[in-house]
Amino acid sequence: MNAPDRYERFVVPEGTKKVTYVRDTKIISAACLTVEREDHTIGNIVRMQLHRDPNVLFAGYKLPHPLQYKILIRIHTTSQSSPMQAYNQAINDLDRELDHLKNAFEAEMAKFSRDY
Amino acid sequence: MSEVDDSMSEVEEQEELQRKKEENGSGLDYILSLESVPSKLPPRLEELKTRVFCKSDAPVHTDTIQYSGAYAALRVDNSLRLDNFCQNFKIELIRLTDDDMEFDMIGIDPALANAFRRILISEVPTMAIERVYIANNTSVIQDEVLSHRLGLIPIRADPRLFEYPDTTGTDKNEKNTIVFKLHVRCEVGQPRITVKTRELEWLPHGSELHSEDNNRDASSKPRTFTSFNCSQDSLPEFPKSPIGIKDSDIIIAKLGPGQEIELEAHAVKGIGKTHAKWSPVATAWYRMLPEVVLLEEVKDELAEELKNKCPVGVFDIEDIGKGKRRATVARPRACTLCRECIRGGKEWEDRVSLRRVKDHFIFTIESTGALPPEELFTEAVKILEDKCERVIMELS
Repeated sequence: MNAPDRYERFVVPEGTKKVTYVRDTKIISAACLTVEREDHTIGNIVRMQLHRDPNVLFAGYKLPHPLQYKILIRIHTTSQSSPMQAYNQAINDLDRELDHLKNAFEAEMAKFSRDY
Repeated sequence: MSEVDDSMSEVEEQEELQRKKEENGSGLDYILSLESVPSKLPPRLEELKTRVFCKSDAPVHTDTIQYSGAYAALRVDNSLRLDNFCQNFKIELIRLTDDDMEFDMIGIDPALANAFRRILISEVPTMAIERVYIANNTSVIQDEVLSHRLGLIPIRADPRLFEYPDTTGTDKNEKNTIVFKLHVRCEVGQPRITVKTRELEWLPHGSELHSEDNNRDASSKPRTFTSFNCSQDSLPEFPKSPIGIKDSDIIIAKLGPGQEIELEAHAVKGIGKTHAKWSPVATAWYRMLPEVVLLEEVKDELAEELKNKCPVGVFDIEDIGKGKRRATVARPRACTLCRECIRGGKEWEDRVSLRRVKDHFIFTIESTGALPPEELFTEAVKILEDKCERVIMELS
């Protein structure tokens, strides 16, 4: 059988980096990031977060093939920012948003268990 | 006299303008501060931005407008920052039982809601039976089918107390394996019996089957399929309630007279991406909050007709005096968007508008029983946070 191992989908192989960064050769402040062993779960929210940034001119992601377990995120920013900066900013914001979301959920849970 | 008055007021006005200009700094800010210049989106655009409109043939305006400069021509800033997010975000718990919960998440993007759904289904770990050692199986159900059925049984054990097995699967200790034994036999002359999950017995000391190993010397203890250093129920981190099967009345097999099943099942930690048996939820889903708007007053016979059209009872009728009646929207949340109410011609489409609120998600989680649903959700948030951190850390 030539089926790939099931853990291939989420275990980053040794010797490969989780994230690689390639600058665009033709456009300044544009780049493509490759994230290994991730899918729409991360790709779509990073894209969403990048779109909220006023310095981002273009942001998109793609899953090149269902059996290639990686996503490509392409970012093009204005000259005030850089793709790397926008990406870091987006993920940091996302992290803080999730933290807020978790606290809000736990507060609501506590309130619920107190009330009923 | 009146002329003098006019000129006076003009001078005053100019002074007023000058003062305002100084207050507001540059001229552009001044213009923006004028009341006649809108600071918000016009109502129609606001509607298109925040609602999905469900027309009789298809929903329209389904996209979420995220681009920060989408309304730049109207001088409306569409960018969203953390403090706006924190202000607008709200969670409301609707229902919580042992196995399922429903809550509203208000003020998030579909991308985030979908990420939670995906993580709940395929990335929150649980324990499930992965290896089955069959000593004897004379029942009509084949070994493979039996193993598959065993794999799908939900196990009541907190996966956070266990480790993932190593990829080779050779080292099986008390930290990564739960062992269950099943030994049932239908005696000759007895009626057929049904084997249910309550027959599965947890073995906290590990496997009892001896592995075939010809090279071992005779003095040592016979080797089994696991190498437990101590009993699992003696470990302090394991809770008071013993590990077991969530539901005791799931049918595993049926045995005729003289048939027997003897086996040992080893459960390990895993995630739903590998196999659906590790999925901690029966299902997790979300829907957007329905909004039903009556565009014109629906009265008397038409109100009655509208009320009878809706199969889930969204509409109600109220008396407005003088024997007149009027339709009202009583339970919009129950609306399933079957669009039965706007069927029957253009005139109904003009009366009723079916919408969904784009940033209001009704999230439902049905747990299979390994973890209570509220803990599943916090686990999912933690997993997403971990992902974010990993994705950024490995870059720098």
